[in-house]
Amino acid sequence: MAYQLAGFPFLTTLLLCCVAGLLAILCIPARHARAIKIVSAVFSGFTLIVSIYLFIAYDQQAGGFQFVERVAWIPALGIAYFNGVDGFALPMLLLTGIVFFTAVLTMWELELRVKEFFSLIFLLVTGVFGLFMSLDLFFIFVWFDVSLFPMYLLIAIWGSTRKEYGAMKLTLYLLAGSALILPAIIYLVVHSGSMTFDLLALMEGTRFTPAQQRIAFFMLYIGFGILAGVFPFHTWSPVGHVAAPTAVSMIHAGVLMKIGAFGILRVGIFLCPDGWQFWAPLMAVLATCGIVYGVFVGLSQTDLKYVIGYSSVSHMGIVGLGLSTMTIDGLNGAVFQMFAHGIMTALFFSSVGHIYDRTHTKAIAELGGLSRVMPRASSFFIIAALTGIGVPCLASFWGELAVFMSCVSVYPVAGALAIGALAVGALFMLRVVQKTCYGPPLEKFAGLKDITAALAVPRVILVSVIVLFGLFPGVLFDMIHTATMHLIGLR
Amino acid sequence: MQPATPLPLSLIVTAAALLLPLLAFGVIMLATRSRHRLSAAISIGAAGLSLIAAVYLLVQHWQMQAPLVFQTVWLVSGQMAIPIGILLDPLSLLMLTVVATISFLVQVYSLGYMAGDPGFGRYYGCMSLFAWAMLTLTVSSSLLQLYIFWELVGLASYLLIGFWFDKFSASEAGKKAFVMTRTGDVAFLLGLVLLWLQLGTLDIPVLTDPAAVAAALSPGMITLTALLIFGGIIGKSAQFPLLTWLPDAMEGPTPVSALLHSATMVAAGVYLFSRLFGYFSLSPTAMAVCLAIGTISMLLASSMAMVARDIKQVWAFSTISQLGFMLMGLGSGSLFAGVFHLTTHAGFKALLFLCAGVLIHRFHTNDMFEIGRLGGRRLKATVVCMIVGAAALSGLPPFSGFFSKEMILGQLLASGHPTAFLAALLGAFLTTYYAFRLIFILLFPLETDDAGHADGHGAHHGAWGERAMIAVLVCLAGVTVVLGFFEMSLHDFLARGLALDEAAPAHFTWLPMVAGTLAVAAVLQAWFEFGRKKARQIGWVERIPILADLFGQRWYLDRLYRYLLDTLVYRGVSRLFTANDRRVIDGALDGLGRSTIGLGRVVDWVHGGMIQYRLMIMVAAVILLILFIGWGG
Repeated sequence: MAYQLAGFPFLTTLLLCCVAGLLAILCIPARHARAIKIVSAVFSGFTLIVSIYLFIAYDQQAGGFQFVERVAWIPALGIAYFNGVDGFALPMLLLTGIVFFTAVLTMWELELRVKEFFSLIFLLVTGVFGLFMSLDLFFIFVWFDVSLFPMYLLIAIWGSTRKEYGAMKLTLYLLAGSALILPAIIYLVVHSGSMTFDLLALMEGTRFTPAQQRIAFFMLYIGFGILAGVFPFHTWSPVGHVAAPTAVSMIHAGVLMKIGAFGILRVGIFLCPDGWQFWAPLMAVLATCGIVYGVFVGLSQTDLKYVIGYSSVSHMGIVGLGLSTMTIDGLNGAVFQMFAHGIMTALFFSSVGHIYDRTHTKAIAELGGLSRVMPRASSFFIIAALTGIGVPCLASFWGELAVFMSCVSVYPVAGALAIGALAVGALFMLRVVQKTCYGPPLEKFAGLKDITAALAVPRVILVSVIVLFGLFPGVLFDMIHTATMHLIGLR
Repeated sequence: MQPATPLPLSLIVTAAALLLPLLAFGVIMLATRSRHRLSAAISIGAAGLSLIAAVYLLVQHWQMQAPLVFQTVWLVSGQMAIPIGILLDPLSLLMLTVVATISFLVQVYSLGYMAGDPGFGRYYGCMSLFAWAMLTLTVSSSLLQLYIFWELVGLASYLLIGFWFDKFSASEAGKKAFVMTRTGDVAFLLGLVLLWLQLGTLDIPVLTDPAAVAAALSPGMITLTALLIFGGIIGKSAQFPLLTWLPDAMEGPTPVSALLHSATMVAAGVYLFSRLFGYFSLSPTAMAVCLAIGTISMLLASSMAMVARDIKQVWAFSTISQLGFMLMGLGSGSLFAGVFHLTTHAGFKALLFLCAGVLIHRFHTNDMFEIGRLGGRRLKATVVCMIVGAAALSGLPPFSGFFSKEMILGQLLASGHPTAFLAALLGAFLTTYYAFRLIFILLFPLETDDAGHADGHGAHHGAWGERAMIAVLVCLAGVTVVLGFFEMSLHDFLARGLALDEAAPAHFTWLPMVAGTLAVAAVLQAWFEFGRKKARQIGWVERIPILADLFGQRWYLDRLYRYLLDTLVYRGVSRLFTANDRRVIDGALDGLGRSTIGLGRVVDWVHGGMIQYRLMIMVAAVILLILFIGWGG
């Protein structure tokens, strides 16, 4: 079957939106910075619209993979351009659309090498979208690397605070990850008996022996796990976040880290369920370490972005913990948390980015009293912090709750520790809020203006998404559940 | 499709009572924050309508026999179903009315107190959030829903305690309140999850049904979960050992303290205990722990109040001790005693704080000696109201506190807890002593300097604002005077709907005499030390330096926690982990990087392309080869 298409190719359209945007930007001369920004906003807006449409149009009753499109590419090797989305992929596409659009809007005031910046961002996001929708192992690997490569340039050119070190560290780490992923993929393909990279065919057609699954799953878990910030391979993440410019931090923490978790889920868990079962206790231990470790290390940070970097380590630990429970609720919670954390971190980095742009410092000790000077800008930061604490009716709460509930039943000690970290997490976030936003207004910030309406737009979008899914978590849970049932049903 | 049944009126009314404050919060925060009067009008309007709805429900269901439950599902995921619903029974109806009344009155009072504050709009927004969270907590039909709103109550009080966030002390107090209650909530959440795993549901009617619980849970499990949930109560109701956040919480505006200390936040803890009273009763250990914690907290807090100079701090300590008193009543096995004291306490504690607020508002100081010196007694209405409140707090007849305190004392005796009974008598004595110490210091200052104050600041925030404040005080004072006489009807109301098998409250004819005499003795002692003409206004505690120091430093609990936090968390674990991150993990990886570079250098040197090295190596190899062959041959 060389060619298969179910209706209009929305997924390819989504990718083409990114590519078209990239080409359009490349065609505009660099001196028209404003035109480049508008074009970027329009094309990223398109991707958002398409991802929202896909989310709504997906038939939850039918479940499974929909919007499938498949074109044989290298038949001899069994490689095909094969896309399809299920309840796991759609929230991620939606997340990417939202974060991409808001990240572009956040960079409205960028002046340095505008053209290069936005074209690299578009390239990066193309890889991300591609990975979330691809069902071919070869393409998954290619998209993975497509999304990593622009990162180095984005950080090294537009970054701050030890940017070369941060960029190099991040790239080396992630390449080490892909150096594990590629052998694992080849190993699986070789042992499948049939020459195909087709994920669904591999999942349904072949049965790997438990030993093979253990080997492959471990490599995939570590390989993708590096990108998901799994303890102890997390140290690239705070350094990278700190060095990266605002929009890149947003996309990086908001979406790229999700690629890691999504990769574990899509490739590792889908193909090696026995391996998953075997390594699940290790996953739980590492995830719990990450949760507890992240909040404690975050407590003694002096740089605002480091704080958020470590909170990401902790929150991504919750995702890992959910994946390790091997229960429906755990998986639902983990994917929900991936979404919620993505939006929350994007909000975090965009508000910190704004604070940095205005005050030119990220050192917590030098900040203070911002709620008086920039009430709106700091309320975005406070809302992000409250989401991070897990206040109910804000999105993160539900993901955490589902993960904790399933975790206590499977790993009581890990669950208790993770719940215990909530108290330290509250101390950790509120301490930062207190030191940056509260306190008497400082003399040196007296002349600062509050956030402009244009720059407030992306933050308002992110806050609304957080509140929306905080009040109506069912919208997302129902979607994820279709895929979870399918996955658990297969085992 | 289910046939469309008309929604019960009670459901609609309750939903309106709950959602109006939420709506007000949203509108104020999004739209009208900068328009002060409009924000206040919206918020007070919503609170007023909630109050009307609550009273309507209370009257409508006064004769109710069985609880009404409306439930729907908020979220389903696999095995987890999170319901959201409304549980109307006498307990929730009573609490709903109390919460709605107090929050309405406090909001009206705030018109005067907060006038001219730049954050006026934000204040009313947060007040609406607070009201919404607490009202919904009250009628929650499942424990998980209760937990969700419990957290939101914590959030609202964080925002309000730290309302004047310019002040370091205020933002610190807000943070402390949130983190300390969160610490208790960790236990609560853990208990809740365990309970859910064992029982498969968290619906309150199921939890309080002894047969259902006993069938599914082992006694050990019941005790464990009950104690974990009690951990949440300790945090929220500021009981020992998590009591130190509450005295600091007075950094918020005084009306907020009034709300926080009477009907919301701290009351939520005791309310949760009474909500799950049927569950806690199944575990004698949990009940004993509750009684013990209540007793300890009550005595500790009373001792702290005896030396405080800050008028709000005295009332804050008294809140802790009265909450402890309620827990004693509940822990000794009487639901009604605890709930009744919760109700009366809500009235008189709000009254006391609001009176203090008038004084602070006028004289710009919290120090009772200073207020006395500046002529606090000239504000006659306020002082009279405060005396009414203090008398109720002290349990003097005929004020409301007398009835509820006497009920708890009687219960302690009837249930066979003589030690706790004696401790309670001691606590009651101390309470009366410090309450009237405060009153006498206000009334009879040693020196007076009230020349310019009483009249000069008379009408500076508009007379109507002041009048609103006084009107609220009179209202609450009226409630405090009459509420005690409704003891029996409230008891019947609760007993009817909750199917309490408690007999009518135990009465010992001699008990009121003893308690009354004791209270009068405490008043006399306070009079002797602070009130009479030649009094030096130095209490007996202050004459014993060790005690004065111990009580004044709040038993060193704060210092201990600060020390533990600094050494264990900040300087201990946090620094250790950070060092691990920098040195061990990053160090290993940087080392890996360096050794890779080193290896590259070696290889690089070998591949240097220098002809002489190659020649040298070639010669050496040939020599070695010859030697090897020669040796072998």
